[in-house]
Amino acid sequence: MSTAVIPSNELIRFAKFFLQELKPRGKWITPFNIISIPIILLGLIILYFRFTQGLGSVTNLSQQYPFGFWIGFDVMTGVALAGGAYVLCFVVYVLRIEKYHSVLKVTILNGLLAYIFYSGALVLDLGRPWHIINPIIGNSFGYNSVLFLVAWHFLLYTGALFLEFAPTIAGWAHWEKLRKFLTSLTLGTVIVGITLSMLHQSGIGGMFLMAKPKIHPLWYSEYIPLLYFVSSIFGGLSMVIFEGSVSSKVFSDLIVPKTHHSHEDVILGLGKGAAITMFVYYFFLAFIFMHGEKWTLINTSWGYWYLVEVIGFVLIPCFMFAYGVRNRKFGVIKTAAIMTVLGVILNRQNICLIAYNWYVPNKYYPSWQEIVVTLMVVFVEVWVFRWVVTRMSVFSKE
Amino acid sequence: MEYYSYVNIFETKGLAYLLLLSFLVLGILLIRYLSAPEKNESAPGKKHSTTHS
Amino acid sequence: MDRRQFLIASATVGAGGIPNVNIKADDVKEPKEFVGVLVDTTRCIGCRSCEVACSETHNNYVPDITGDNALESIRDTSEKQFTVVNRFKTEKGEVFVKKQCLHCWQPACAAACLVNAMLKTKEGPVTWDGDKCMGCRFCMISCPFDIPKFEYSGWNPRIMKCNMCYERLQEGKKPACVASCPADALMFGQKRELMEIARHRVYSHPDKYVHHIYGENEAGGTGWLYLSAVPFNQIGFRNDLGTTPYPEYTREFLISIPLIEFGVPAFLLALNVLTDRREELHKDDEWTESGVEK
Repeated sequence: MSTAVIPSNELIRFAKFFLQELKPRGKWITPFNIISIPIILLGLIILYFRFTQGLGSVTNLSQQYPFGFWIGFDVMTGVALAGGAYVLCFVVYVLRIEKYHSVLKVTILNGLLAYIFYSGALVLDLGRPWHIINPIIGNSFGYNSVLFLVAWHFLLYTGALFLEFAPTIAGWAHWEKLRKFLTSLTLGTVIVGITLSMLHQSGIGGMFLMAKPKIHPLWYSEYIPLLYFVSSIFGGLSMVIFEGSVSSKVFSDLIVPKTHHSHEDVILGLGKGAAITMFVYYFFLAFIFMHGEKWTLINTSWGYWYLVEVIGFVLIPCFMFAYGVRNRKFGVIKTAAIMTVLGVILNRQNICLIAYNWYVPNKYYPSWQEIVVTLMVVFVEVWVFRWVVTRMSVFSKE
Repeated sequence: MEYYSYVNIFETKGLAYLLLLSFLVLGILLIRYLSAPEKNESAPGKKHSTTHS
Repeated sequence: MDRRQFLIASATVGAGGIPNVNIKADDVKEPKEFVGVLVDTTRCIGCRSCEVACSETHNNYVPDITGDNALESIRDTSEKQFTVVNRFKTEKGEVFVKKQCLHCWQPACAAACLVNAMLKTKEGPVTWDGDKCMGCRFCMISCPFDIPKFEYSGWNPRIMKCNMCYERLQEGKKPACVASCPADALMFGQKRELMEIARHRVYSHPDKYVHHIYGENEAGGTGWLYLSAVPFNQIGFRNDLGTTPYPEYTREFLISIPLIEFGVPAFLLALNVLTDRREELHKDDEWTESGVEK
């Protein structure tokens, strides 16, 4: 199997091909471009200040709030919403349910881009980013640290996602033998990827286990890792539904007609999965609430906020998914998906920022620079996504 | 000072068991509701509420 | 060489190497305990010499203790000062409390640090290593006392906290604050010695002290211990931190890791094998192809 040896004239061909592919295809003046380009440029300027004058010059981070919007949104939330990749890989490759194959590649691509960009955004948040090499090269492994596990699993999982998407890249570059070899790795990579996902999705919740005295008791429990894992499942599924509805409008010319029809069945199936997972999650929360004897905490303003999150953004979308699936109402399902995504964002922000150090008088809120940089990261990700899907066979079946 | 409060274990455990029971029963009903969405079927289209408000 | 010869050769080389292991007499030392400091708040006069000595030793911001009126408000340690003295008005009069890292026996920060930049040294102090630190600030999230402080205004930020003058301890000296205290409010030594002295003081003067030594068991026990005339929550200490060492809270999660790393792939592979219907479908195709009606 001579897949590793790529002759030099092949590399020259590929280099020419790649340069050709870099040329923009669409119009320059689109609403998205007009909004995103200035923000990306502004974000780069802000980053210049961040690196020369320190984090404090562009963020509202403080001694009471060491984790801010960049970590709270990019790491804690972005990673959860990318959970669709491992869930769908489980369904398609492990359980062999071919129905979802049509959305699989785009979901893997979204997951891969999410992990690359959010890991990148994490590096921006580090005080001494050049030392990120330390936990990787092994001169000082902090084995007892939950973050050590999360960091390594992030790295390995990004690699796994890349391997899962690599056949599509090989197909685009017309490297057929390599593509076949990579496809043979898929099942193994998927199994490894699911295992890694379970651990790091729960791990980012596990990071808050030691912050027990600082997180409001309604949100803190020893089960945070489990809750984070389960919410990554329905958060990921909801993102797949949401991104699917956006892509089917924006990239409708790329989607092979046959997949349009089965797309409805896919949405129904995903909605069903989301409804069941959210039902289980809600009961988990009820059990934890009961077990922790948290009744007296409900009749406070924090209690009402907790109810908004749990009833408004978990229980109600769960019902909406069930109703939408049962009665084939796609608008209801899509609304439920958006509410669920907001609910996951809310839950992560609560534990990380809002209910964290909840008794401190000077609360944290993100600075405009933090928001601009986060938008910059998302927009650049969308640019790359657009470049990839307009050139590689992401929306068509293999 | 460490504060000790009296926790009625039986009450807590009893409630937990009730919760588990309702979870299993409602779970079965939910799966039934979600499967085979035949428009003709006159099924209990009610949503399953666990909160008594 | 066959297996037998290999084993005999290895065993011989190994046995021959044993006498070369040097066990020197001074390697087997008397077991020592982590060191700490006993802070007797009934003795502290609020002169803040410790703040000056600490900052001078570590090239931090040296406060103007004669003129800055800092005692008017309750302060926290900062990225500029490893330690501060606060003044609390209580029913027993003014109480002065020195605040700094408590050098926990099982520190949350050291468990949290993924590069071992935060380290519980074998002598006892918890130190920070700038060559390893990435500035992720996870130690700040984990510390129940909210002690580590970050230099947000620098391009090469440090985590700033008391390190019990580790360099001075290596030279056989005491921490700068202990050495500078004119009122004998700070005492340096091993925890068991300090506990004895603390207990002795409490038992000898039961009206002068609250019958609790803060740090004995809090957060699993700390290196710095406090005595007080008034309940500790009146002088800025939290009493809801529990006695469980903080790394214990992550133990269940960390233990589940090998279980999942090995169990889940096996489970997923089993699912994949069990859902393989290709043979079954192939047989169905054969049936229909051969013309037999299904």
